[in-house]
This record gives sequence, C-alpha cells and structure tokens, in this order.
Amino acid sequence: MIKLDNVSLVFQGGSVALSNVSTKIKEGEFVYLIGHSGSGKSSLLKLLYKEYVATKGDIDVVGMDVTTLPKWKVPILRRKLGIVTQEPQLLEDRTTFENISFALEVLGYEESEIEQKTSTLIELVELEESMYKFPSQLSGGEQTRACIARALASNPLLLLCDEPTGNLDPTLSTQIVTLLEKINRAGTTIVMATHDSSIVNRRKKRVLQLHQGKLMSDVPQGRYI
Amino acid sequence: MRRNPLLAIATILAVLVSSFLVFTTLSARAIVENNTSRWQNGVHVVIFLDDRVTSTAHKQLQETLESYSEVRMVEYFSKSEAAEEFKELFSGQQELLDEVDFETLPTSLRVNLNNPSDYQLIIERMEGNAAVREIRASGEAIERLLSLTNTLVFSATTFAVLIGFAAFILIINTLRLTAFARRKEIKIMKTIGASSTYIRLPFIFEAVFESLIGTSIAIGLGWSVIQYSKNSVIAQSIFDISISDSYLINLTLFLILSTLLFGFFASFVGIRKVLND
Ligand SMILES: Nc1ncnc2c1ncn2[C@@H]1O[C@H](COP(=O)(O)OP(=O)(O)O)[C@@H](O)[C@H]1O
Ligand SMILES: [Mg+2]
Repeated sequence: MIKLDNVSLVFQGGSVALSNVSTKIKEGEFVYLIGHSGSGKSSLLKLLYKEYVATKGDIDVVGMDVTTLPKWKVPILRRKLGIVTQEPQLLEDRTTFENISFALEVLGYEESEIEQKTSTLIELVELEESMYKFPSQLSGGEQTRACIARALASNPLLLLCDEPTGNLDPTLSTQIVTLLEKINRAGTTIVMATHDSSIVNRRKKRVLQLHQGKLMSDVPQGRYI
Repeated sequence: MRRNPLLAIATILAVLVSSFLVFTTLSARAIVENNTSRWQNGVHVVIFLDDRVTSTAHKQLQETLESYSEVRMVEYFSKSEAAEEFKELFSGQQELLDEVDFETLPTSLRVNLNNPSDYQLIIERMEGNAAVREIRASGEAIERLLSLTNTLVFSATTFAVLIGFAAFILIINTLRLTAFARRKEIKIMKTIGASSTYIRLPFIFEAVFESLIGTSIAIGLGWSVIQYSKNSVIAQSIFDISISDSYLINLTLFLILSTLLFGFFASFVGIRKVLND
C-alpha cells in the first residue's frame, strides 16, 4: 500500500524535514505515526499525496509511483486517498451536509447519488444531529468527523489523518479513534499522525516513531514512550 | 463577477472599446481599399490635348505613350465623348449645361498604368510636349488618402492593442481576487483530487463571458456605424461605403474567436498562481 525507500525531504532554506526514511505499510494496516512537534509527521504524510516532493528516494502509494508521477496525474492519486489535514478545512458558508456533498460533486458523482451517499457518510461518522449546522456551530470533534466523512467520499483505499485528535479532550479523541478503527475494519488502510501518547498506548497498533526527521522505531503493537 | 461588479464592468468596457476599434478600423480600411481598387483599375493620368496641333500629333503622342512599358492602356477621348460625359455628370443641373460651350471641352488621352504610382514618370516625360495642354493625375490625392488610412489603421491598432492589454490585466486581476476569496475552496478541491481543468472551469467561464459581452456590444455598434454611414452624406458624395457582408461576417467571426482565445489565455494566467500553490 505504501513503500518508502530512503526518502529525504529538505526544504529550500536547508531545513531537513525527513532524512533517509524507509518503511512499508501493507493493505489493511492501522499505523500510528508518532513524534514530537516538528519531527516530520505532516511532511511525511504530505509526501504521500505529493503535496511535497521528496528531495531524494522513492515513494510508492496505492500502486502508483509517486516519485515520477507527473503533475497532471496527481489528482488521480488523490482520488484513491482520503486526506484529513491537520487543520480542519471546512467551508464556513456551507453546512456539514453541503461540505460533504461538495466533495462528491467535485468527484463527479451523479446528482441523484450525491444526496444518498452524503447521508450514508454522515451516518457513518454519526453527525446526523449536526448535518444542517455550519462549521462554526460544530465542536472540534464534530469538525474532525465531518472532515473524515468528506475524506471518505471517494471510497479511498488509504486514509491519511494528520493529528485528528490534536485539540480534543480524551473522550472525544477516543471517539475519533474508535471511528477510524471501524473504518479500518471495513478495509481501509489507515495512517494516523499523532503525538497523543495515551491513545497510542491504549490501542496497541503498529507505531512508527519519527525523531528529527529520522525513523527511530517501528514496533508492531507499540507504545509511545 | 458577483464579488467585483465594478471590475467586471471595467473589463467589459475595455474589451468593448478594443474590439470596436479593431472592427471599425479594419472595416474602414476595407472600404478605402474597395474605393481605391476601382481607381487602381481606372484612369490614372489624364492628358488634355492642345487643339491647335494636328490630330496626327495627337495620334503620335498616343503611340508614344503606348510604347512605354509602364503604360497598360491609352484611350482616346474625343470632344463629343467629353461632352457626353459632362452631360452625364451634371445631368441634374440644366442651368450649368446651358452655360457650357461644349466646343471648349478638350480632347484627352486617358492613361491606365500597370503600376498607378508611376504617374510621376508620365508627367515628367510629357513636359514640354507641344500637343499637351494640361496633365492631371489623381495619384497624389489617392496616395495621400492611402497613407492617411494606413496611419489611421496603425494608430487605431496600437490603441486597440493597448486597451486590449488593459482588459487583459483587468481580467487577470478580477480572477485573482476571486481565486483569493475562494482559496480555501480551491485548496480543498485539490486535496480531494479535482483536476486542474475542473478547478479552472468557472474561471475560464467568467473570463470568456465578460470578454464576449464586451465584444458582442462592440460588434453590434460596429454594424450600426457602418449601416449608418452607408446612408450618410459622405457616402452619397465622395466615398462609396461599399463593404461586403461576407467581409463583415468574417470580421465578426474573427473577433469572437479572438475573444474566446483571449478569455482562455487570461483565465489561465489569472489563476496559475493559486493553482500551483
Ligand atoms: N513548507 C515548509 N517550509 C519549510 N520548512 C518546513 C515546511 N513544512 C515543514 N517544515 C519544517 O519541517 C520540519 C518538520 O515539520 P512537520 O512535518 O510539520 O512536523 P510535525 O508535523 O511532526 O510537527 C519542521 O522543522 C518544520 O519547520
Ligand atoms: Mg504536523
């Protein structure tokens, strides 16, 4: 599903975000990507959907060679992925329902399918009560769930979540993680970046740890030390 | 467009003026060319003959003229033919016709040249010839008219290009403002996996739409101006406002096509930056 081979990312100013990262993630896995702030978690995720371009190394995602992928083909890659960015990116002038159906419109779904599919996604993330609310009327957890629902619009093979529990209290964080595990059980591979140790320690999933851009450890049912 | 009504109006106006200039100057040039082309095929130099010399001398002069390589044709125009022409020209004015003694109308040789601008050569060669009373060449006036038209076309085209450029900048700015206001939406679309074309579409539509409105009004105005001048005083006296409908239709199609390309190009430039961010 994901293959990184000796990947480095150096920004223009010379700051090194990632250095020589190599790893493999198989289909159906649930992987936590952990590390302190600034350790390179977001950068790694962004490399996977070609928001950033690796300085060195080979990247393979959902069977596509990201390294040599021409720019006009990037949308094809992204349609196979679900992306939840670090800051919830919801359109303020649209309701939860509209924010999710917007994604389906962009993806070219038929008018008739959109309503049905949006409802299904809203049900999945349990936002029925808030579907006609605007983002400013949603709690942090609800916003994240709306983003997850939107990311699932394309039936992605792989869901990338960047600190989805970033500013949520433990109960809400657990809700999000439970939701993601449910999605994972349905077959979607998940990579979730976080620096929330309590969650990682409780869920006992595979843990990749980044430290100053280097992959420090890769533990099958890991803990966040 | 909803966000920047003033900018949209400015854009439409700039496109309008630019297209109108292109339309009218190209039409005007076509009209001048139509008129001068009739002249090109007509008489370039008229040599009025002195009646005091013999008609043999007149014949000789005609033969001399015909021997010049610059000359295509020489036509002998007798007194009676001149009288006929005079009567025809001033047919409405009986008083004038009554006044004229047709005997005083001179015989003339009407010269048609291969290249009308060689008229000066003929004048020089005829100088001092006893059979010649007077020489008239319309060349000078026509040449001045042509050069005036060229200057006009040149300056109007320059203005059209400048104003077109202003329109271009206006469109780019409108689109940049719109794109900036919608940057979050665009960012989300890109993350979801929308193609560049999909994201561009509304912008292309806006640019093409505004330009087309401007050009359409300009073309409408242009047609009216030509229709109006066909019936004007100038048209009935000096100039023949003859321009074929097919020329106007081609010009219209050309302008619309250019406008489409213009809109496409402007929208590409206008949102290039936002798309690449
Ligand atoms: N666009 C960028 N330009 C320059 N430096 C960046 C950029 N994005 C991230 N960095 C740097 O790369 C390093 C890793 O950042 P990031 O991937 O955001 O870490 P994390 O998500 O783990 O907090 C940091 O030092 C950060 O300053
Ligand atoms: Mg981050």
